[in-house]
Amino acid sequence: MNDIPQTLAQMKNRGRRLIGCFPLYPPLELLHSFGLTPVVLWGMNGSVQNYDSSDRHLQNYTCRVARGLTGFIIDQAAGLFDALFMYNACDTLRNLPEIIATEVELPMLRLHVPALPEERTGAKGYLQDRIRSLVKDLEQFTRRPFSADAFMASTALYRKQRALCRSLDTLCAAGGIPFARAAEVLQSAHVLGVEDHIAVLEHELAHPPSPARTPGARVMASGIQAPPATLMEVMDDSGITVAANDIATLARSYADCPPAQPDPSGYYCDFYFRHYPCSTMLPAGDRRIEVLMQRVRDSDIRGFIFFGEKFCEYEYLEFPHLQDRMKDRGVATLFLEIGAEDLANLMPMKTRIEAFAEMLGH
Amino acid sequence: MTTDTAPGGFRKTSSGRRLTGIIMNDYLQLHQRAADGAFVVWIAIVVPAELFAGFDNVVYAVPESHAAMSAGKGVGTLQCEKAERAGYSTDLCSYARIDLGTALDGGRDSPTFGMPRPHLLVSNTNNCSLLAKWFDVYHRMWGVPHFILDIPFCYEEQTGADFAYIKAQFADLIRTIEELSGQRFDEARAREAVRLSGEALLYWKRFTSLAAHRPSPITAFDSFVHMAPILTSRGTAQLVEHYRELVAETEELMAQGVYPVPGERYRLLWDSIAPWHQLRKMSARLAALGANITCASYTYCIGSLEGSFDAYAYDGGDPLDWLARLQNFSVCPHGMKLRVRAMKEAIERNAIDGVVFASNRSCKVYSLMQMDQMRSIRDTLGVPAVMIDVDHADERKYNEEASFVRIEALLETIDALRGSGA
Repeated sequence: MNDIPQTLAQMKNRGRRLIGCFPLYPPLELLHSFGLTPVVLWGMNGSVQNYDSSDRHLQNYTCRVARGLTGFIIDQAAGLFDALFMYNACDTLRNLPEIIATEVELPMLRLHVPALPEERTGAKGYLQDRIRSLVKDLEQFTRRPFSADAFMASTALYRKQRALCRSLDTLCAAGGIPFARAAEVLQSAHVLGVEDHIAVLEHELAHPPSPARTPGARVMASGIQAPPATLMEVMDDSGITVAANDIATLARSYADCPPAQPDPSGYYCDFYFRHYPCSTMLPAGDRRIEVLMQRVRDSDIRGFIFFGEKFCEYEYLEFPHLQDRMKDRGVATLFLEIGAEDLANLMPMKTRIEAFAEMLGH
Repeated sequence: MTTDTAPGGFRKTSSGRRLTGIIMNDYLQLHQRAADGAFVVWIAIVVPAELFAGFDNVVYAVPESHAAMSAGKGVGTLQCEKAERAGYSTDLCSYARIDLGTALDGGRDSPTFGMPRPHLLVSNTNNCSLLAKWFDVYHRMWGVPHFILDIPFCYEEQTGADFAYIKAQFADLIRTIEELSGQRFDEARAREAVRLSGEALLYWKRFTSLAAHRPSPITAFDSFVHMAPILTSRGTAQLVEHYRELVAETEELMAQGVYPVPGERYRLLWDSIAPWHQLRKMSARLAALGANITCASYTYCIGSLEGSFDAYAYDGGDPLDWLARLQNFSVCPHGMKLRVRAMKEAIERNAIDGVVFASNRSCKVYSLMQMDQMRSIRDTLGVPAVMIDVDHADERKYNEEASFVRIEALLETIDALRGSGA
């Protein structure tokens, strides 16, 4: 997805009502059922020419995710989006709505997702109330009533899309599509309507690039967002096969899909409390480690590349333990830290990836 | 009462000596009772420790407070480096790194000999949700249960739904401790602890409100130091007594005409966590310039509701109600509109000439709206402000000269505004 603003403008011109969402796991089905096209504002860095706009508001020790999305909204949101949506995830993001509001006048819908395990007293009831409240806000904003049928239809679309994403992952793990290409297609989910993205995925699965590659060293990639395309291309060119990914903009976003049901408050309890574990979902810490180790075993992973997002404290606090667990299992690890200012100087990281691939090859 | 005045205006009062005794005793008691079999809970600072008073034998330790003390005692960097060697990034909060470094090294180099190993970890998401991840490290390291309190962030004042949600979690926490410790919770004792905390906070508010006097009888640095027992002695008669005497002593000093910055020419407000490694140096250097940071958002928020300035008094009712309603008080768990509202009140009541926004690399949740907050204060009140770079506990990330160049520029701006009659 090379030109996100252009893609969004085209959707807007086709009459779509766009709602910009952050962070990664907004209630897409619900927003879609109200006739909105949700756009996930994560990994917008490629569309940000510079960080001038966000630098007026955010200190330089803010992660590139927040700087990218803030800059993107300030520079591009006017005329593109009808509203914005956010839910709580990390300390940086929770400060953004009021900062953005100093420059952008758009309705801001919010949701507090409990940072508690499902079994804790009141957690489920609280989330159900919040979802009902969000439904009311959406009814008011869109001036249309909630429709269980529309919600079920939207749910079915997203279920199909996530299943196709997983199929593309499987193809990538088998060497049938380079990781860089798979990631580009998969991440376009965030800025395409779900119907359009399904079409893109179906086309890609039906016409994979040829010739197929010889599977190389089996690696799992992890991080809060996919690395820059250049680094993914280096992985491909170095003979690495990304046999599994734990990247938040990729597998963490489509790994699971709850059972369909017409009541969004019940659906989103399943969605959030049983979501594929992500570092941003606080009660899922233990499960995350276990799920990752299971995936390492299932996919016969030999190497683990962690793309650390500079200043992402959630990811930082998990990595040392994760690294130890990988080492215990004989999995080699590589930690690469990427910040906003590093994008013009990726050569050292390329070299490290190549060296890692060579090491795994031996 | 005696007062030792060090060069530059830093003074060791009898309250200061009493404070040292309280903190030392709190940690000694903590270690002793833990060794004698007490159930030990590690908590984030805003977790309502008064609840533990409802049990026969539950003690609590506060890693953030311990980290602040370590930084103040000059071992912050040493402990940070231990955590960094274990793979924890230098970009992580320095409290977390100090605490992890201390724990990983078995408490060595800690001014309190570390903290006794916990039976339960209680983090929360209100000051920062990073705490949950930080406590998860111990949870994995020692196999200790970890209980998270989820406190919704306030963009507006706390809602009824959020209040009920928080209160239900407190009841859940009580049940959890009962199950894990085998002890029964006695609400009457917790109620008494809340009453004592409420009374202590009224004295605390009286103490911080003395900053309105010109010259101010206190500095923000006094409030940074004296807030410590709010973290380690909550819900005790000792806490009430300390603040009652602190107020009395400060008022007596005022009567004697003893002020920390006698030639006070500039009255400043500090926005951030205390720079623990710089308390003495910074206050002395400011005093030499005739500048007094008389108040700080970090300490004037204590005992108030989010976005307000006055005390939220305990009315003798359900203790969980009071504790739940206060959960968003501490700046970080509420938004810019509320922060600005409280800050305007502080500026007006304390006749503040300028604001120092301390952009704190270790605390994103406190810092990442300061640029807009600073514009708002400048634009709406016409009060000049500067931003300096600090780290609350990692001295390596602080540059004294760069900071003072900016602070001195602020003082010059204040002079210029006075000269222009603005």
